[in-house]
Amino acid sequence: MNSVGQECSDLKQTYDTCFNKWFAEKFLKGLAEEDQDCNNIFTAYQSCVKKALKSQNISLTEVEKDVLGTSEENRTPPSS
Amino acid sequence: MKIWTSEHIFSHPWETVTQAVWRKYPNPHNPAVVGTDVIERRVVNGVLHTHRLISSRWGLPNWAETILGADRVCYGYEHSEVNPEERTMTMRTRNLTFANTVSMDERLVYSPDPNNSENTVLRQETIITVKGVPLTSYMENYLLNSISNNSFKGRDAMEFVISKINREVEDLVSTYKRSTSEILDHTKRSLGEITESALRSVDDISLAAKKSVDGLSDAAKKSIDDISCVAKKGIDTFTQPTPAGSMPRI
Repeated sequence: MNSVGQECSDLKQTYDTCFNKWFAEKFLKGLAEEDQDCNNIFTAYQSCVKKALKSQNISLTEVEKDVLGTSEENRTPPSS
Repeated sequence: MKIWTSEHIFSHPWETVTQAVWRKYPNPHNPAVVGTDVIERRVVNGVLHTHRLISSRWGLPNWAETILGADRVCYGYEHSEVNPEERTMTMRTRNLTFANTVSMDERLVYSPDPNNSENTVLRQETIITVKGVPLTSYMENYLLNSISNNSFKGRDAMEFVISKINREVEDLVSTYKRSTSEILDHTKRSLGEITESALRSVDDISLAAKKSVDGLSDAAKKSIDDISCVAKKGIDTFTQPTPAGSMPRI
């Protein structure tokens, strides 16, 4: 499977392989809270993807923004 | 707004199905999905949260492209939570492309089948809303039908990935079996060698011991002979008749 940035695909595949192993062998068995095993490769992959998103003008700020519990949440109009 | 719901049972345990969810793409059943990227991922209170960006080609018919616009690649945003303790995985996907006019909100829940914990139930719900363009209702129906007609592809894709995972596990088991039998073989051989050399040593020891015991009893016998010889001589001396008048004075 490819990445949104072609240049990140190798990093993505290495990370996915690492993550799948961690998920199956540690996380599902309750053996590890944090994914320490794949931390370094994840950081490298992340920075590559962020750059690719920026250069392709894909903005995720709208979906990632917290709305619930902030002043932007739509409230029920006060009953009169 | 249209709502489409469905339920499907996979004859595989929840642990296998959730692994397959992460490895679903690429597969021959959903060639439209061209990329998946993890945007954020962390474990909070034992629950794994993941945000992914899904890149796909929608393959809209010409009339829909005329209304919505034509984007070569469309993007979807997926947020999932995996709770290994409760054995649930929930996944919510929304479209980013055409988001002003079309909203497709899909919610998937994978959990063990309450009637058979070796099976997994997938509950699926998609809410489609089209607004601000002509033919709203027609478009909603079109999307609804296409989701309904294509839903089997996603299940086939999951089965495809699951059988791949199961094959890998089998390979691993057979490699493990092979190496175990090699180890056993090796151990047996080593044990045989150890036993042999141990037997040899025991033989050596008993031979040596026998020799020592023989030597000892020989020596003991000789000593006893010597002692009895001396004793006999002593007694003889004592019982020899002494000439009269020469009784020892006490």
